[in-house]
Amino acid sequence: MGRLFQLLLRNGGFVTLVFVELFCFVLMVQYNSTQSVIWANTTEIFGGKVLERRQTVSDYFGLREQVDSLNQIVDSLQSRLSNARLVQVSVQDTFYQVNYDSLTLNDSIRRKTIRPLYEFVSAKVVGNSITSVNNWLIINRGSNDHVAPHMAVISPNGVVGVVRHVSENFSIAMSVLHRQTRITASLPKQNTFGSLMWEGGNPHVMTLKDISKHFQEQIHPGDPVLTSGYSTMFPKGISVGTIITKPEPDPENPHFLVVKVQLSQDMSNVDAVSIVRNLFSGELDSLKSQIKQ
Amino acid sequence: MNSGVFPSIWRFFGLVAVQVLLLKQIGLSIDSAYFNVLLYPLFILLLPLQLSPNFMVLLGFAVGMAVDIFYASPGVHASAGAFSGFARSYIVGAFAPKGGYTSKEPVFTPAYVTWQTFIQGSAVFFFFHLFWFFSVDAFTFVFFNSIILKTMVSWGLTMVFVLLYAAMFNPKN
Repeated sequence: MGRLFQLLLRNGGFVTLVFVELFCFVLMVQYNSTQSVIWANTTEIFGGKVLERRQTVSDYFGLREQVDSLNQIVDSLQSRLSNARLVQVSVQDTFYQVNYDSLTLNDSIRRKTIRPLYEFVSAKVVGNSITSVNNWLIINRGSNDHVAPHMAVISPNGVVGVVRHVSENFSIAMSVLHRQTRITASLPKQNTFGSLMWEGGNPHVMTLKDISKHFQEQIHPGDPVLTSGYSTMFPKGISVGTIITKPEPDPENPHFLVVKVQLSQDMSNVDAVSIVRNLFSGELDSLKSQIKQ
Repeated sequence: MNSGVFPSIWRFFGLVAVQVLLLKQIGLSIDSAYFNVLLYPLFILLLPLQLSPNFMVLLGFAVGMAVDIFYASPGVHASAGAFSGFARSYIVGAFAPKGGYTSKEPVFTPAYVTWQTFIQGSAVFFFFHLFWFFSVDAFTFVFFNSIILKTMVSWGLTMVFVLLYAAMFNPKN
């Protein structure tokens, strides 16, 4: 105790000052409204709000990763969905449970009808036009990302186009708003299909031709139009749009019907897309070339 | 040195009384955030020069606490008083004559140091006291400009009263 006093005396009042000021500080924040409010807010700021803001900032910097992972999830779901439409369990005499995730390309004969057919590459549209007669999209994925011509480009809302030219890091896709576009689209309610094309003009509306005439009474405005899966490019069941007109006989070929289709993907506002890679397109194309010979 | 005890005790009560009965009432009647005259730190400035810094701090705390009781602001004036008690020896030491203070100069008043030295020393002393007081009164440097403005206005007003006090009583011990 004596040593403590000696310490206090020797330090010229500074230690005393520190203790007295600490005591005053406690008095101030205990018994003064202004000081107690400020003190409470300060402790709250340092205790909670700083953490909260740091969380907000780190959330913001994590958004990119979140978008990437969400895109990957969309792609994997998209591919599972598209591939699942092709699943056929050929073994019928035994109880056979398909574990989809275990499927690989080099499956045994028993499972060869349940192989995955599509892969999806997420991409961004970096260039787009809708006003020309033939419109194009530029996409930020190229041959480095295993993108090749004749791959379909889809968005979460529907079909977007088809890749035509590829550089190392970018590719140019023919928009569905292009005179050469021919997509085999199905009418799932009527269980039929037609050929989808664009006649220019309104960038939200395409024309579906070559529908068999006997469906005239069954097709109504509002019916959905999906991809048919008959081509090697677009997987089955991707949304195209909805029918907005009553079917009319095609003036060029009266045996078939023609309807207008409102696109489900607004082509003036395309951002995140997926490029569809058909793992068997080479095989299918070489097979198809047999027909032409 | 003993001769300085009783005058200090009288100054303690006298200055606290003037502070809370006169200056506080003037402040209330004028009712401006910038009109603050704090005369009680004069007690700390006029404590005997030979006093130990520990006592200075404690006596500064005591006179501040006494004022705080009447201002209903526990700790605010006490904090400034304790700080001023600590700072006085350094401020007064800066204005010491050659060879430092001796028993010939028991207190820091115009009677022993010159008027010029007293005005300079008290000006610095009151500036630091007022700045500390308004800082802990605001309790945040967010309003730093307001603190500085209050300090400057209050400093000028207080110095008038300090010089009036020194001229009227011309304390010898």
